[in-house]
Amino acid sequence: MDTQQHPPPAAPPLIGLRDIRKVYRMGDQEVRALDGVSLSIAEGELVAIMGPSGSGKSTLMHVLGCLDAPTSGSYQLNGEEVSQLPDAELARVRNRTIGFVFQSFNLLPSFTALENVELPMIYGRAKDRRRKALAALERVGLADRVHHKPSELSGGQQQRVAIARAIAGEPRVLMGDEPTGNVAMRQGEEIMQIFQELNEHGITVILVTHEAHIARHARRLIQVQDGRVLYDRPIMHRLLASEWLAQPENAVTSGPLEL
Amino acid sequence: MLSMEAIGFALRALRDNKLRSGLTMLGVVIGVSAVVVAVAVGQGAAAGVTNSVGQLGSNQLTIIPGAGRIGPGQVGGATPETLKPEDGEAIKKRCARTVLEVSPQVRSTLVLKAGSKTWRTSVTGSNPTFLSVNNYVLERGRGLTEEDEDTRARVICLGKTVVQNLYGSRTYNCLGQEININRVRFRVVGILREKGASSFGQDQDDLVWTPLSTAMHRILNQNYLSSINVQCRSPKTMDLAQEQVVQLLRRRHRLSPPFPDNDDFQVLNQAQFLSTVKMIGGILTVLLAGIAAISLTVGGVGIMNIMLVSVTERTREIGIRKALGATEADIRLQFLVESALLSVIGGLMGVAFGASVAFAAGKITGWPITPNFLSMGVAVGVSAAIGIFFGFWPARRASALHPIEALRRE
Repeated sequence: MDTQQHPPPAAPPLIGLRDIRKVYRMGDQEVRALDGVSLSIAEGELVAIMGPSGSGKSTLMHVLGCLDAPTSGSYQLNGEEVSQLPDAELARVRNRTIGFVFQSFNLLPSFTALENVELPMIYGRAKDRRRKALAALERVGLADRVHHKPSELSGGQQQRVAIARAIAGEPRVLMGDEPTGNVAMRQGEEIMQIFQELNEHGITVILVTHEAHIARHARRLIQVQDGRVLYDRPIMHRLLASEWLAQPENAVTSGPLEL
Repeated sequence: MLSMEAIGFALRALRDNKLRSGLTMLGVVIGVSAVVVAVAVGQGAAAGVTNSVGQLGSNQLTIIPGAGRIGPGQVGGATPETLKPEDGEAIKKRCARTVLEVSPQVRSTLVLKAGSKTWRTSVTGSNPTFLSVNNYVLERGRGLTEEDEDTRARVICLGKTVVQNLYGSRTYNCLGQEININRVRFRVVGILREKGASSFGQDQDDLVWTPLSTAMHRILNQNYLSSINVQCRSPKTMDLAQEQVVQLLRRRHRLSPPFPDNDDFQVLNQAQFLSTVKMIGGILTVLLAGIAAISLTVGGVGIMNIMLVSVTERTREIGIRKALGATEADIRLQFLVESALLSVIGGLMGVAFGASVAFAAGKITGWPITPNFLSMGVAVGVSAAIGIFFGFWPARRASALHPIEALRRE
């Protein structure tokens, strides 16, 4: 295993991966989900990671989100080597530095929106939880739904609660694993609008998606295939969710677009 | 994570699954109430028996005929005919240094007739020491005297239950009334003050006292005794008194060794009886406590079972919590607090239930049963320990779940 420390560059990026590998053993077979990924992401970027299923993009996202440890390689996050941290330290990093948004929302069903948003701050022993949670819910446009349970909210609203939960603790980086995968198109645009707004205010955002349309909302695209980075380039003509939403034909809140 | 929040999470989880939590607690409720009831009843029964034996006087020896381990016969015919009034007189004379009073007795169950009413009861023939030796007090009239004894007088003293059954009222003044026993006419000269039921549930007011000589020669026509009660001078010389009495009776009855196999009498020692009762009470308490411990363990296994199911069922929740920054210690604490709360709430309910059962049992049996606060505290403490002990493994399993794998499960 490579536990060697790499000397930090002059202006260290927020995220620096070097030769990250993740190998699963399935019986006699070795599955190389990540096969030497190196990349760096600076503060304030909005990055989309794309790739076909089985390309390793989800594994990459889990490694980036400190949900899974790489088999080998170096992962510098916010100036700290996190690739081989023990459980309690990884939990702290997940709690303080990263906000994670899942495809399937992953809200606790018996908790209200407000309680769900407060949950990570309880583990982070944050002060002023109630106020921060309310502010985050207001930011995603759900100030009037704070006492609703997830089952009383639409898919798009649930995902916005999940985003509020991710940002309430003021993380350095916001990560979304197919965040629009389970919602209707218009709601997907609304979610992308929130991500773009948050990015405008300085939060680094990393999204995994398999939809090219969603990926085009980012500033930079990383294409992954067979556990490696296929290409990594800026997006020239990126889409703005606010523009799409402002178009009159997209202004309906229900109709044929609602799936 | 702060423990207040862990308690909050745990209470929430228990609330979300009310029926299951309730059923799981039931095991602990039953276990703990069993402990509380067992200890209260065990101690109450022992206290009750000790009390009533203490009333008899703990410096008393009872000599009964026969070598068997059977109590004095209630029916005259079944009693061995080896114990004679002369034995009593000899004890009084020869063991005077250690013996204060000797009360020879014959007992038989006979039918009393007063007018048209009849009542079957225990008739005791005994000399004037009867009252003091058996802790009876006169309410009306007089006790039986040496003169009654010498003249084989046909006089009797009645207990309150007999008065009620022959005259229809416990308070009826029947002094001077005539009663027939075995076609012999007796006059009532005294009424005994009410004593109530003994701790064995026996009505102590259902008796008739008549002079020993009258009972032996006018009613039963027998020359042997049912028992001799010996009151010793001091509890310290009890053992000496017992030894002297035994030696005297062996000589008088011309018995030859081996002893005690060839003895034709038995000496019952109240102090020995008392310690036997206490020992039985102790064994009973240990036995009941053992049963209670087993049921508490079963309750604990029930908690572990449910917590394991709960961990499996809430895998996704655990994954979410870990993804959001809960450490293994946080998850472990949450599940430990949950199982501890299950058992502590169950334990408190068990204490409440057990105390009410013990209280009700005290009311019904008349035993001095009072719930024991120490046993309550111990029961709740033990149930909390059981919750933590049996919750530890499920909590560890929960905390060891990998967040990604936990999130993948539905």
